[in-house]
Amino acid sequence: MLNTFQQLTHPVLPTPTHDEAARQEFTKSFKNFIQQKLLPGLTPVYRNRVVPAFERAHGRPPADRRDIRSAMVRELYFQHYAAANRIAQELLWESTNVTVDRQLPELNAKAAELSAKTAARLDIPAGFVPPRYVTAVDIHCMPGGYTTEVAKEDISVGALYDRGVYLYAMGYMGPLNDDMGRSVCNYLKRRIPDFKPKRILDMGCTVGHATLPYKELFPDAEVWGIDVGAPVVRYAHARAAGLGLEVNFAQMNAEETRFPDGHFDLVVSHILLHETSAKAMPRIFQECHRLLAPGGYMIHADLPPFDLMDPFTQFILDNETWYNNEPFWGAMREMNQYDLAERAGFDRAEVRFDTAPMAVMEFAAQAAAGYSEEAATAVADREFAAGEYAPGGGWEVLIAHKSATAAINKDAA
Amino acid sequence: MTTPRPHVVKDAKGKRPTFYDAPGLDQAMSMILVMANEISVLHDRLDSAERVAKAQGIDLAAGIEALVLDQPALEAREAWRQDFLDRLFYLQRKEAAEAAQADTTERFNRTIEEIATP
Repeated sequence: MLNTFQQLTHPVLPTPTHDEAARQEFTKSFKNFIQQKLLPGLTPVYRNRVVPAFERAHGRPPADRRDIRSAMVRELYFQHYAAANRIAQELLWESTNVTVDRQLPELNAKAAELSAKTAARLDIPAGFVPPRYVTAVDIHCMPGGYTTEVAKEDISVGALYDRGVYLYAMGYMGPLNDDMGRSVCNYLKRRIPDFKPKRILDMGCTVGHATLPYKELFPDAEVWGIDVGAPVVRYAHARAAGLGLEVNFAQMNAEETRFPDGHFDLVVSHILLHETSAKAMPRIFQECHRLLAPGGYMIHADLPPFDLMDPFTQFILDNETWYNNEPFWGAMREMNQYDLAERAGFDRAEVRFDTAPMAVMEFAAQAAAGYSEEAATAVADREFAAGEYAPGGGWEVLIAHKSATAAINKDAA
Repeated sequence: MTTPRPHVVKDAKGKRPTFYDAPGLDQAMSMILVMANEISVLHDRLDSAERVAKAQGIDLAAGIEALVLDQPALEAREAWRQDFLDRLFYLQRKEAAEAAQADTTERFNRTIEEIATP
């Protein structure tokens, strides 16, 4: 299929020139090419070259992803694949950054103007210290990370993330990059139709891509997005205003928010956990339990655990850890999330993994630019292939229900 | 006096891995791909020019297909291509010139030494 998906513009999204747009479009095409044409070649290279050589050298086949990695990194085919992936990532940010840089002071002013017009709250406290796991390296090689500010009231990394992530996801997340939130919302609508949360919290919301669908689905609910990066929540607030939605944003750490016990009926996160740390993740589960009212739900949409995957699949997935500044990507998949939820106070019988189908067909139905029926179907009907963006068809979500009879303070962290 | 404009951060924090054994190849690959990116941009720009012209009533694409080059045009094109190839292969040109002059690294190093010697 030809992927022609196009991002929907909104008032605070940077506007590229013709050539900037073409340059960015190429990075999306390049990622698509790598995943469709270069990635599949890794399997025969591994099976027919690397495994026999490993067996000759060690007298046994590779046992785990670490064995596989040690042998594969010496293969020129793999070197080209991994280098191409890394370069595509660098070009994606570079080509977007040029557009942001050219418009930066105007974008900051525009964001401030939009934010001033909405009744939704924006809470950025003085002296907030972001956790080390987001400042030690720039996650997924995004220059500046989530927290860097290069001017007063800066939103530059928010703008960079908004466009860059669209290219990274090759548009699979929809014209507004909101597929993950939309998918979880659809899942709630279908599976728990009577659930009508009054307050909803989205942890690690970045620029609010996944946050906004909750306001659309539950228009009467008070919706909050929190993130450790000031520029990204500032951008999120302006973006939501520009899209006509009243959603509150705050700079907070999901391990220790500033909300009272039992404040929310629904606490969600999307691709947050793998960007935290082994120390932070249990604390986030505990904080979710503390924040939930009895009968509430915690839902984390993130990377599925490694335990059900073969070592070669694990190896492919773990490349992000090594080559894309995602230090917790692999280790997170080895965490036992049932145990974490139970230790946080959830009843183990009320914790499960499930699949929330991707919302990509909706974008085709809306006739969003470039979302042809054929291309959307190709995304929705794919089989899971390690190394491709997004699993085939749906997101793996962890769902935990807080007992309706639980005392609010029972396991407050 | 104008206020200096702010600038984004250009490079991501976190040591970049190397993928190849040959020194310099990681850098060369990234440069090649940047060039490929720019070729793609040029292609898109020409495609845009054709589409804009068509919207204005000029079928540039059909005109390009039907274009017959006259002698001055043929000469200009061929001169451009030869000049381009000459620049693309400048290191081979240099190598051949050095071979013709029997020039060597030893002679170069000796020259530096001689010139530096008081």
